[in-house]
Amino acid sequence: MFGLVHLVPGDPVRLALGTRFSQESYDALRERSGLDQPLVEQFFGWFGRALTGDLGVSFRSGETVTSQIAERLPATLTLAFASILVALLIAVPLGTVSALRPRSLVDRVATVISQFGISVPDFWMGIVLILVFAGTLGWLPSGGYVPLTEDPGAWLQRLLMPALVTGVVSGSVITRFVRSSVLEALGADHVRTAQAKGLGTRQVFTWHVLRNALLPLVTVTGVQLAYLLSGVVVVEIVFSWPGLGQLALQAVQARDYPVLQGAILLFALVFLVINLVVDLLYSAIDPRIRR
Amino acid sequence: MTAPVLEVEDLRVRLRTPRGPADVVNGLSYTVGAGETVAVVGESGSGKSVSVLALLGLLPARVATVTGRAVLQGEDLLTMPPQRLRQVRGPGAGMVFQDPMTSLNPVLTIGRQLVEGIRAHGDVSKQAARGRAAELLREVGLPDPERALDRYPHELSGGMRQRVVIAIALSNSPSLLIADEATTALDVTVQAQIIDLVEKLQDEHGTGVIWITHDLGVVAGIADRVLVMYGGRCVEDGTVDDVLERPAHPYTRGLLGSLPDLAAPVGPDGEVPELTAVPGLPPPPTDLPPGCVFWPRCPVRADPRCETEQPPLAVVSRAAAAGPGGATASGAHAGDGAGLPHRAATWCAEEEVPRG
Amino acid sequence: MSIQPTPGPPPYQEPDGERRPETPEEPPGGSPQRESRPPPTLRPARPRWQETLSLLAHNPTAAIASVVLLLIVVVAVFDDTFASEGANEISVTDRLQPPSWEHPFGTDDLGRDILSRVILGASVSLRVGFLAVGFALVVGTLIGLLAGYYGKRVDDVLMRFMDMLFAFPAVLLAIAVLAVRGPGSGNTALAIGIVYTPIFARVTRASVLGVREEVYVRASRSVGASDWRILTRHILPNAAPPIIVQTSISLAFAVLAEAALSFLGLGTQPPNPSWGLMLAEGRGFIELAWWLAFFPGMAIFLTVLCFNLLGDGLRDVLDPRQRTQMAGGSRAAGAAAAAETGGNA
Repeated sequence: MFGLVHLVPGDPVRLALGTRFSQESYDALRERSGLDQPLVEQFFGWFGRALTGDLGVSFRSGETVTSQIAERLPATLTLAFASILVALLIAVPLGTVSALRPRSLVDRVATVISQFGISVPDFWMGIVLILVFAGTLGWLPSGGYVPLTEDPGAWLQRLLMPALVTGVVSGSVITRFVRSSVLEALGADHVRTAQAKGLGTRQVFTWHVLRNALLPLVTVTGVQLAYLLSGVVVVEIVFSWPGLGQLALQAVQARDYPVLQGAILLFALVFLVINLVVDLLYSAIDPRIRR
Repeated sequence: MTAPVLEVEDLRVRLRTPRGPADVVNGLSYTVGAGETVAVVGESGSGKSVSVLALLGLLPARVATVTGRAVLQGEDLLTMPPQRLRQVRGPGAGMVFQDPMTSLNPVLTIGRQLVEGIRAHGDVSKQAARGRAAELLREVGLPDPERALDRYPHELSGGMRQRVVIAIALSNSPSLLIADEATTALDVTVQAQIIDLVEKLQDEHGTGVIWITHDLGVVAGIADRVLVMYGGRCVEDGTVDDVLERPAHPYTRGLLGSLPDLAAPVGPDGEVPELTAVPGLPPPPTDLPPGCVFWPRCPVRADPRCETEQPPLAVVSRAAAAGPGGATASGAHAGDGAGLPHRAATWCAEEEVPRG
Repeated sequence: MSIQPTPGPPPYQEPDGERRPETPEEPPGGSPQRESRPPPTLRPARPRWQETLSLLAHNPTAAIASVVLLLIVVVAVFDDTFASEGANEISVTDRLQPPSWEHPFGTDDLGRDILSRVILGASVSLRVGFLAVGFALVVGTLIGLLAGYYGKRVDDVLMRFMDMLFAFPAVLLAIAVLAVRGPGSGNTALAIGIVYTPIFARVTRASVLGVREEVYVRASRSVGASDWRILTRHILPNAAPPIIVQTSISLAFAVLAEAALSFLGLGTQPPNPSWGLMLAEGRGFIELAWWLAFFPGMAIFLTVLCFNLLGDGLRDVLDPRQRTQMAGGSRAAGAAAAAETGGNA
């Protein structure tokens, strides 16, 4: 494992270095933000403040970075969790069925679908979906975000397409994983022992195949969730989804380093938390790791 | 004695492989009597394991075609509906597999794995099944059985795990126990303990045992009868004494020759008699030779028919079998039932059996 | 027998065995009878790469993917010849023309021929992709080799650093790199390269650890072969298959990442066409002229798909352990493997 300390030093430093290439108009700002001080001091100063929840002030809007992030976080979390839900709903049945009937028609179709899902650019798929469902058919709004608490119907309408796009991509990755995992579990010796005991097919499958096969799914789902939380930048842009990805991109375009730093720190934090949760979850469900 | 527990007749298994159909078992016939132990020996790839997996329908139907008859207590295993076969697995025949490290589910407790087997064959309450499970574990010699129920397989040693596997196989008091290389993965002392255990349980319950192994030392220790397999065929069978003392088939002789004989005299300069191995490899089951399956590796090749014609399993001697061998009862092959014939599938036996 | 690997010297090529061109295998036995009936050998008489190619040719999806990729690469290399229409020529009269004979993919809002721009975009996208993966391949493999071979401190330091990079979500890391270095295709390649370096390091390190303690490596160490020689002659060839597979798959993702970054306006800068950039430009006209965004998207999709299919095909051919796991299926594979084992062991 790597600690938070390992994760953070590179980027603020590198990002701070970046200001050197920027225009003179930033010089005043640099001074104000303490960017003219030695890097090490800068870093420790920033890091110390970050620990107390103070991530600095945005160059652009003058708001605190913390409040900006807090404002964007619900949208990103919503999208990420909705996507992982879509992904699992696709992947578990599809992967299982194709593992049970390897080389059958179902398996081939599933393989083709997941191959397409992995290869398709998510933003392009988003654009095509907008064209079809928002443009031609006019069923759904083309983008935006409404908090659940305000209007659940509108929330769902707007969530549907972006969640589908990211869900299909993640789902394809997970489908392949489920397939090979179930295949492996099917071939395990203990499955034969279970059959030799005279258990029914369903019982063998549920307790000796599926249960074993889905254990590592926790890890993969965790990785995908971490990826979704951060990797949906592009989809957020396509669907005008006011999440962290959009914030980070705007920060890059405006060279708003405090915001970018804060966003990156948050993503790293999210990544660590997810890893931790996965580890905990795993040791709770896999007796081999339990101590 | 009584009717045999298991009667296998002309068992054939063909597997679909990427390299074409493979005839893995080619016309195997044998019987196992109550309380009798039949050892099936042969090299890796001789079709031993496949032949017993086929009996219980444990080969994937998509790739395996099984023909012949295998009558377990009056019912043909190979033609019975899957639902009935499921009921037979367990109470009819229990199976112990080679690798105790992998044949238990790592994420379920030992207790659970025993209980589900017990409850699959009888309307038993969870509590009662648990009690029975603990009893079984005690019977197979697991220390502290009550606590062992809540343990996971990885918390036990290999020998202990194999005891658990045996307990699972015995949990529905099967009339037939199939041990597929059950001691191969264990070290020698544990191996001996397991063999003792199976013998003891066999004596108590009158279970018929098929013991698959490639370890001839184990065979000598446990078997009443021996069946030597090569290329999916039985090349020789008979009582332990007949087969091990007076092997008739060149392959059996080769196998025995490759076993170090500790009783053999050590040469004057401390030289140990050289181990002879059977050179070469068994034929691929996708491409069996037309004649005797052993012909490509046979050092004898006494008869021109060897190359072209498969020798039938013929009686070599009856005399030796009439001896005081323990379980000679299931004389299904011998028409007169006088004793168990010693048979070998070789053309050279006719000329070459000196001891008649 | 059965599902377990056969004990004793396996004449049946264990999956690992196939990866060892270094150990010439003495045919076992050698008795006179063998001549009349040579056992089937799995060891090809041809060199490995030829074997690989021929196996690949027998895998229809991978073969088609390779052909399509080859076409794309040829078109990209000779982009000037194919894209004669002047991809950056603006013609107001030809604005937003739907696909026609004259403009098979239509024209964009400035009257530029989309087909030509897609072709030019191919060379940009592929160049960035190859540069990025090339960087990741060289740096990552080197790090992985050193970490895996020397172990201990070297391993700790290098892999910890790689973990750190790996911990960052790919797109974000790339965005961060571009934020520091500024947009542009060169920097995009560098950013993507940095993102994929840890993956190569990990794959290489795992393979190296797998073979480091093999007998033939220890043997050559014992006869005084230099580290460099051992690394290049013994370890690298054995670590190569997963690296090759990873290269193909990474190319897929590099093309995708380049498109994504350009779409965000951080990658290739206008007026140069890049598929991602074209998508971004076409997005605004999506309801008016669908072809603006559709064709570049298809191009990205097709290229990425082909690299992925090729990667899968290569994995099947080069990494047999994966193959039994992925393709054969359940115990069918086990039983079939048992039968094969039976045939040769």
